[in-house]
Amino acid sequence: MSTDVTGSNNRFDTSVTQLVIGGVVLALCVYMLIFVINTTMVQEFYGYSRQINARVPTFFIRMGLLLVALASGFFCITGHSYYKRNKLAVAPWLFLAIGLAFFLVYVIVPIFQSISYSFTKWNGLYDINGVWTGEWVGLHNYRVLWEDPNFWTSLKNNLIWLVLFMLAVPIGLFIALFLNQTVTGIRIYKSLFFFPFVISQVVVGLIFSWAYNPEFGLLSEVWGWFFCEMKENIVGNLTRVCSVEPPSILGDAKMATYGIIAAGIWPQIAYCMILYLTGLNNVSSDQIEAGQLDGAKGWKMLWHVVLPQLKPATFIAIVVTVIGALRSFDMIATMTQGGPYGSTNVLAYYMYEQAVGEGVGRYGYGSAIATVLFLIMLVYISYFLWRMYQDEKEGG
Amino acid sequence: MFPKPIKSYSSKAQLAYKFALPIALFLWLLPLLAIFMTSIRPVSDIATGNVFGVPSSFQLIQNYSEVFAKTDALRYLINTLLIALPTMVLSVGLACLTGYALAVYKFRWALPLFFLFVAGNFVPFQILMLPVVGISVKLEIINTVPGLVMFHAAFQTGFCTLFMRNFIKALPFELIESARLEGVGEFQIFWHLVLPLVKPAIAALCVLIFTFIWNDFFWATVLIQEDSSLPITVGVRTLNGEFVQQWHLISAASLLAATPPVLMFFIMQKHFIAGLTLGATKG
Repeated sequence: MSTDVTGSNNRFDTSVTQLVIGGVVLALCVYMLIFVINTTMVQEFYGYSRQINARVPTFFIRMGLLLVALASGFFCITGHSYYKRNKLAVAPWLFLAIGLAFFLVYVIVPIFQSISYSFTKWNGLYDINGVWTGEWVGLHNYRVLWEDPNFWTSLKNNLIWLVLFMLAVPIGLFIALFLNQTVTGIRIYKSLFFFPFVISQVVVGLIFSWAYNPEFGLLSEVWGWFFCEMKENIVGNLTRVCSVEPPSILGDAKMATYGIIAAGIWPQIAYCMILYLTGLNNVSSDQIEAGQLDGAKGWKMLWHVVLPQLKPATFIAIVVTVIGALRSFDMIATMTQGGPYGSTNVLAYYMYEQAVGEGVGRYGYGSAIATVLFLIMLVYISYFLWRMYQDEKEGG
Repeated sequence: MFPKPIKSYSSKAQLAYKFALPIALFLWLLPLLAIFMTSIRPVSDIATGNVFGVPSSFQLIQNYSEVFAKTDALRYLINTLLIALPTMVLSVGLACLTGYALAVYKFRWALPLFFLFVAGNFVPFQILMLPVVGISVKLEIINTVPGLVMFHAAFQTGFCTLFMRNFIKALPFELIESARLEGVGEFQIFWHLVLPLVKPAIAALCVLIFTFIWNDFFWATVLIQEDSSLPITVGVRTLNGEFVQQWHLISAASLLAATPPVLMFFIMQKHFIAGLTLGATKG
């Protein structure tokens, strides 16, 4: 009995000490933080903090103080008797706090900020007193957008990307079926087929811009086997003479987009393939045997027995392919930069060009383009979340 | 197993399959092979049109060391590591906490918050671009490696939370409940019981995030203009402008940028694929 009392006494004591220590450290950190921020303000006033080297340490000091403040806050809270009584209600918020705050600040809030920018005319600058220099223009940006032929070209290209990128799903399935065997060394084949996905899109873009080069690229080489021959010219050097000149794919406004898509779909096929390979691994052999007894073979078996079981893989393949298609930026930036004459622009690249491109700086207009892209994506996000919600309900 | 095992076919078909495999692989990786061949030939070969044949001399070491000597490739590579590794630690670490909170506790906000993370993970980058630049300017970390790390870590926390939450949800809940009945504190349960069990998920996420961040291009172009902080993807793009038509150097630099993620993939293949195919098998 007596041990019980001292036990609870002890617990009470530690809680109070915990509260006091946590509170003091918290207060100290907040004071220091304010001090640091004020000092950098002072520094900025005199122009000291212009150099990067001077700026980064202050950032680390701030982050360090913030962390200590958070830790002491947690220490403080867990010492309080309210926490002890409502553990299961409070604990999840403590676990969530940092991650959620971080995500809200950098991802969720900026979405709404961007949407609000889209109703303004702004070049991204603040005046000397830190006052925003933009002006509210309502729907003006969207009206300009409606009449902007470049916007429509970009939107059309986005659609072409979306439609052609979808080919990655069946091609990926086809390659997965081709590779789903057990012969020696098949594992190495599978991982080598997956290779393109691991490589940066910038590198894929560079590889393909080289391959498409009409003078000494891979394509011109293959072209040469059919249409060209080496001849001696008057001076006696060997030169290549072609009956039909190889096309300059990236230089041709009609073909450039398709050229970039062909490059972009390469890694995407690899991704779909790996999704289907994993899916095929888990197809139940019972059902296949049952299908065989019913006389299903080949395509019929694939369509009626296997594909229904691959549904989760297909769903994820479609989701990542749609997102990949709408996010296409790296390839365009490396291969054509939207050219020739804006013919390969997509919304993602056009937005970048308008907002921070050289000598443009139309933040409001760029945000309007981004908002349109976001709304398109929102359709897919809602669908994905709805599907997830259905799964959650089923799963309990 | 579908399609029918090749062993059940005639020996002719088996032979055909064994021949078809390397041919298909060769065609599939042709662009990569070609760029590799270009990266080891002398510049004179390219000028004379010897693009796909045997190089007139093998210049593997010369070309690659020329890239390092003529450019800042080494610094770009180090920058990329300085960006990718802290991001990996931060986002996976935070996601362990958030994923645990969303999977284990039954509170009203669990599902909406989870969906918030998932939805945020899929938004187009462009809608975040200008405000994120604004935040980085305010924190005075624009143009620096920490600035890029902060954004990447925050954004990837979304994906990692999606992954972690589903992984922890699949663990047997009885374990946690019995620990609670024993009077173990909530954080102790997380640290001593759950964390050891999610090690495979942590490994998978680390490999994935490392590769994603290594290959990032957009955010690096947006948040960094200073040459001394550029990562390799942007660096390679810049080199492309400098080495006009010097394809042997461009291709060497490109392959250099591609090598670390490829190595990572081959070493951690199992985890990598487990991470990517999450959700592709469950009904």
